[in-house]
This record gives sequence, C-alpha cells and structure tokens, in this order.
Amino acid sequence: MIHDSVRRMRHDAGGALDETSVMLFESALAEIGANTLTHGRPDAADAPVEYELHLEGRTATATFIDRGPPVHNHLTRSMPEPTSETGRGLAIARQVLDELGYERDGEINKWRLVKRL
Amino acid sequence: MSLEVQTRKTDSGITVVVPSGRLDVAGAPTLKAAIGEAVKDDGTPRLIIDMEGVSFVDSTGLGSVIAALKLVRGSKGDIRLAAPNQQVRVVLELTTLDRVFAYYPTVEDALTDF
Repeated sequence: MIHDSVRRMRHDAGGALDETSVMLFESALAEIGANTLTHGRPDAADAPVEYELHLEGRTATATFIDRGPPVHNHLTRSMPEPTSETGRGLAIARQVLDELGYERDGEINKWRLVKRL
Repeated sequence: MSLEVQTRKTDSGITVVVPSGRLDVAGAPTLKAAIGEAVKDDGTPRLIIDMEGVSFVDSTGLGSVIAALKLVRGSKGDIRLAAPNQQVRVVLELTTLDRVFAYYPTVEDALTDF
C-alpha cells in the first residue's frame, strides 16, 4: 500500500520531484508503517492502521494513526550498535525526514511525516 | 511483491544467495531462513548476497542480513554484499552498516580474492 501510494504520487507529479528525496521519503514511510503495523495493533482485527499521503507543491505529508501503546520513550532512540538486528526504524525516519511528528491523543498514536521532494 | 530467494554454490565453494523483491518486514524471514539453510553444512561459510534483484530494503530487512553476518562470522566465515541499488546503499550508509559490510559492484567483483 505504501509503495503503491508513492508510485501514484510520483506519477501524478509528472517528474517534478527529486528522485533521491522520494526514495528517502519512501524509506521513512516504510519504517513508520512497519512500526505501526507491528506495534500499533493490540487487537489486529479491530484496530486498523490509518494512512494518508498528500502532496502539496513539492511537500509531501503522510499521516499514520494506530492504536498501540504510547511510544514516547522510543522517539529519541539513537542508531543501535551495528550488531543489533532491530531498533533502526525510527532513527532512519528521523534522519531522512524534514519533520517527524508524534502525538498521543487519548488511546491513539498520531504520526506526521513531512519532506520536501 | 514477496521476496524470492535462490541459492547456488560456486566451484570454489562460495555460497551465492540471490534474493529478489522487497527485503522488508515481510521478506526478511524468507532471506534469514534461506541463508540458514544454505550455510548449515558449511564449516567456514563464505557467503555472497547478490542484491541486484532487491528493489527496496527496510530496517527489518537489514536485520536479516545482520543475522546472517553473525551466523557466518560465528563459524569464522565471512559475508559480502554485491550489486546493491542506490536505495540499499543509502540505507546502509544511514545506519553506518556500510562500515560492517563490504559491498561490491557485481558478484564477480565480490568473488575476487574471497
């Protein structure tokens, strides 16, 4: 779904976007998307993850909403040791985005990813 | 796009693993299992992962490559990556794993002096 949405955005923009920036944005989307699917669905059947992607001018904004536990403690986690098999997703997203927003709203997590492409 | 993995062995006993598709949270277990199977009877495995067919990698996919590295080096073997595309190279650099994995433009280059 994420990769299809990026493909459509790229197509709709008609070659106006910087390909390297699109690639980096897609990497961040995949990381946050995988996190929300893995950790954001305490009861998978009843808790879908909501995802939207918008392009305004050359600024892409994506939002994810999940119903997992709060993740404040993970937001500033730095890149783990090279031998670690996990824990790089948020660090990658932070590095490549212009803005990574996170808000806990009641029982849901709201993510906002912004990058100029 | 699910990940498919083929493996072959060169005349000099080097295992070449060839994943194709997206090496992400869905594909990582497939690569991990294929590498475990490919090197299980190797005393000192020498492994090349041919990344040419990998269109996209995420951190979970990288985790499966790190698992392979630990498995192989645990047996005093080594691992090389061949032909990663730009997205894979950038993610390796962002995560500083380019300092851990030697990567080469082609499988033939990776085979040299291995």
